[in-house]
Amino acid sequence: MNDPQLAEIAKLLFSPVTLVAYTAAMIAYLYSMSSTVGRAEDGDATAAVRPKGLRIATGLGLLAIVAHGAHLLTWSFAAGRYPLGNMFEFSNVAAFVAAIAAITVVQWRLQRPDVVGFVFLGVLLTLGLAVLVYTEPGPLMPILDSWWRAIHVSTIVFAFGVFTVGAVFTALYLLRETAERRVAEARAGNMSGSTVGAAFDTTTRDADEDELLEVVPGREEPDASNIDEDAAAYGIALRRALARPVSVAGRTVHVPVSLLIWTVVASVPFALVFQRASAMVGIPVVALAAVLIAWWFVPSLPAATTLDSLAYRTNAFGFPLWTFGVIAGAIWAEQSWGRFWGWDPKETSAFLTWVAYAGYLHARATRGVKGRGAAWIGLGSYGVLLFTYYVVNLLVTGLHSYAGL
Amino acid sequence: MSRRDSTAPPEANPDLRRPGDPRSPGPLGFVADSLRMAWRWLTRMRTALYLLGVLALLTVVATVVPQEPNVPTTVRQWRTGEAGPGQLWADLIDLIGGFDVYGSAVFLALLLLLFTSLTACLIPRYRAWWRLVRRSRPPRTSHLASHPEHATFQIDASPDQVLATARGMLADRRWRLREDDGREPAQVAAEKGHVLREGGSLVFHTSFYVLLIAIVAGQLIGFSGQVGIVEGHSWADTRVGYWTHDGGRLWDDEDHTGFVLTLDEFHVDWHRDPRFGGQPSLFLSDVTITEPDTGETYSDTVGGNDPLVVDGMKIHQLDWGYAPRVVVEADGEVVHDAFLTLTNTDSGFWRGAVKAPAADPDVGLEILFWPYAPPDETTGEPVLTGAPWAEAPLLFFREFRGDLQLEAVQNVRSLDTSRLEETGAGGLRPGGSFELADGVTVTFPELRRWVGFQVSSRPAVPYLLLGSVLVLIGLIPGLYAFRRRLWVAAERSGERTLVTVAGRAFQRPQAFEDEHRRLLEALRERLAGATAENTASDDAPLDDPTPEHDQAVPR
Ligand code: HEM
Repeated sequence: MNDPQLAEIAKLLFSPVTLVAYTAAMIAYLYSMSSTVGRAEDGDATAAVRPKGLRIATGLGLLAIVAHGAHLLTWSFAAGRYPLGNMFEFSNVAAFVAAIAAITVVQWRLQRPDVVGFVFLGVLLTLGLAVLVYTEPGPLMPILDSWWRAIHVSTIVFAFGVFTVGAVFTALYLLRETAERRVAEARAGNMSGSTVGAAFDTTTRDADEDELLEVVPGREEPDASNIDEDAAAYGIALRRALARPVSVAGRTVHVPVSLLIWTVVASVPFALVFQRASAMVGIPVVALAAVLIAWWFVPSLPAATTLDSLAYRTNAFGFPLWTFGVIAGAIWAEQSWGRFWGWDPKETSAFLTWVAYAGYLHARATRGVKGRGAAWIGLGSYGVLLFTYYVVNLLVTGLHSYAGL
Repeated sequence: MSRRDSTAPPEANPDLRRPGDPRSPGPLGFVADSLRMAWRWLTRMRTALYLLGVLALLTVVATVVPQEPNVPTTVRQWRTGEAGPGQLWADLIDLIGGFDVYGSAVFLALLLLLFTSLTACLIPRYRAWWRLVRRSRPPRTSHLASHPEHATFQIDASPDQVLATARGMLADRRWRLREDDGREPAQVAAEKGHVLREGGSLVFHTSFYVLLIAIVAGQLIGFSGQVGIVEGHSWADTRVGYWTHDGGRLWDDEDHTGFVLTLDEFHVDWHRDPRFGGQPSLFLSDVTITEPDTGETYSDTVGGNDPLVVDGMKIHQLDWGYAPRVVVEADGEVVHDAFLTLTNTDSGFWRGAVKAPAADPDVGLEILFWPYAPPDETTGEPVLTGAPWAEAPLLFFREFRGDLQLEAVQNVRSLDTSRLEETGAGGLRPGGSFELADGVTVTFPELRRWVGFQVSSRPAVPYLLLGSVLVLIGLIPGLYAFRRRLWVAAERSGERTLVTVAGRAFQRPQAFEDEHRRLLEALRERLAGATAENTASDDAPLDDPTPEHDQAVPR
């Protein structure tokens, strides 16, 4: 038990090996989908990505998963127990679950290789946060050594991974939906001769992209030779719909200003939770980078309706898991502390997460609450999950706090 | 908004005022109208959504604000302004019952509304569901091509044969079929998933009643009490025997059976590796139980995750501490001889107090205890470490004389020094004795440990478990089963028969896309099998084996 050499190997396998491998896989996936800017909206996603690029990406992704698995295995041997004892390990395993789901479920079963790159982005963000709560591999307290705890923690962590994938889809849906809606509004505006839609403000465009854009507004029946150009123009329009022209050294570039501002607004309070300078700088910077990547790839995302249904299915899969995880936790509490529920901050917030996701599922079934409304509730629910996990573990003390860092 | 926006049945999203509603005249009529509207408001999913939102909001308060039942001391500090955001905020929080959210009037009112809404919502859904089970009849369709899933193929079998085969196949797969009413053109209409999805959702929502009843009943008939027992000591299960207890309204003293619990030994150990120093590795109590009626005794253990059940009472080991025996002699008389139950502090030492009113004036000792305070190698002075293992225990005390004010309610582990005067101090190793300036002698003859047990009876727990299982049993079909309809039509087209299989899913359209494809394949296979039998003599192969799928072939 607690073999220091094994622990060193486990650490190396995590950083740099696993982190680099995931990054490479993410880049390969994003690259493989980027060639098909603005492809047919409801077509077969597999046909839409570059087959060769996709093969390389899949290989890298599987390699990353193997490296990650090897890391978890050596880590477990180093600690002398399964790796579900502290926050670093929880995030680590949740990310592992998400990565496996990305390839096996999203790519192979659902045939959506075009969103896998983003799931890997989510995996990397989760692992990055795990680093902020890093703990050396070590033994568990005896009270934590019970079957129900193992079931409780592994289900909750599994659900955490699933909800993370769901949140990635939800966020992408919101981005893509906003872009699609703005472009549609602008087109409608141009057709009726009005000038609504800043994304099409012709005075601010730069040369080559502009030529493509010219063809978009008002076109009704594109002739076959123009389809590719049309699609490319649509893609650029989508990207610009989320951005604002900014003039830098005489050139006009499009920057998603409000998106970036909101990212900072959302990530800074979250970063405060970690009470460390590295987090204060790192989290907003990484969040900005992630948002920029997502924004840049908005044109090659699946259509908003597809993303919406992916998000719903993922979250609906996570909900029963979470429910079972909470029940298992109550059974463990009854066994260990002789009370199944005590409204301890951790229990309370696990319940809060449950209520939030129940609200999300309800919203989906409520007449008049459209996709966007439900999606915001879904994203908010993931926020609640992060709150439950990071804020309650790190800032609020309770019975569960010893399982914290 | 159209009704198709929602995946829920229409009963769940009614309009507040229906066009056909008669307006009742007069003031009573107004009341009746309002009541009807209030009821309908409660049955709407939007209302349920708002109520869930409020529940979430209250829960946020309960997570962020310390809760009195859990951490009463912190709440006291928030109220006095010693901790937290200040007294003004504390007053505001108190105004909405924020220090005990789940016991507050706001929460009770919300619970009431939520359950009324649930009831209001479930009654029409039960009725509609029952109607579905009893006599739902899949409708015919006159626009086969307008359904999202739609495919055709040609085959040699006759239209009647095709429809009969389709019926047989769908019946085998437990689809509900519309009985053939002779209407032309002949058509198979089938439906599946509607009973299971709604049924699952109903079981899921109904299980909340089971949970609520089990929780309320558990509060009324349950009991839990805490007691600390020193190694070698015995304790009997009677109401007065507990340090603290919390019995439901319907729990009475007769329900204590009076079994005797003896703590023979408590085992505790730690990881000594400096990296994880202080992390415990073992907690285990060896106990002996004496049955009240028969006097029978048996030995057992109570561990961290391993409670012991005696006469229906569950015994958990929750807490432990050091228990030094402290003897105090004043004026030649023993005024105190007992084991103290010390509690751990965050600062690496343990604390407690001795209160000896038998002396004149009263003697009070404030006790600080370090389990591991080895003597320094050169000076011999004890080095105070925070380590929890009792390998070099040191008991330090401060002596106070005066009035202990025992008539007031007090914490057993601290002294109220307002009418006491500090008169001396000293340190002791086990077996040591110390004589103070005023002639009082303090002796520390031995060190034991004590264990805090919780003894509880929660007869409602199995029902809670039942409710939880129902939640899951209902949730899975409620989320994954999906309502879908399928139509099969067959018409002569020249020599052959043109078969159309159309369908639509109310939920999970992607899953239905796959199912539609599979059904299409299965139907073709069955038909091919049947045709092969019928036309065994005619060995012409079936041509046109690929179905025309809507999405593959644009028209
Ligand atoms: C007590 C709090 C409630 C919670 C936690 C809750 C939770 C849920 C969840 C998680 C679902 C999705 C799973 C399923 O379809 O079975 C659901 C569905 C549903 N709930 Fe609730 N619910 C609550 C109260 C209500 C109330 C008061 C109503 C009536 C207004 C209602 C009406 C519905 C309906 C109609 C569905 C089905 C949606 C569909 O078929 O897609 N629920 N509820």
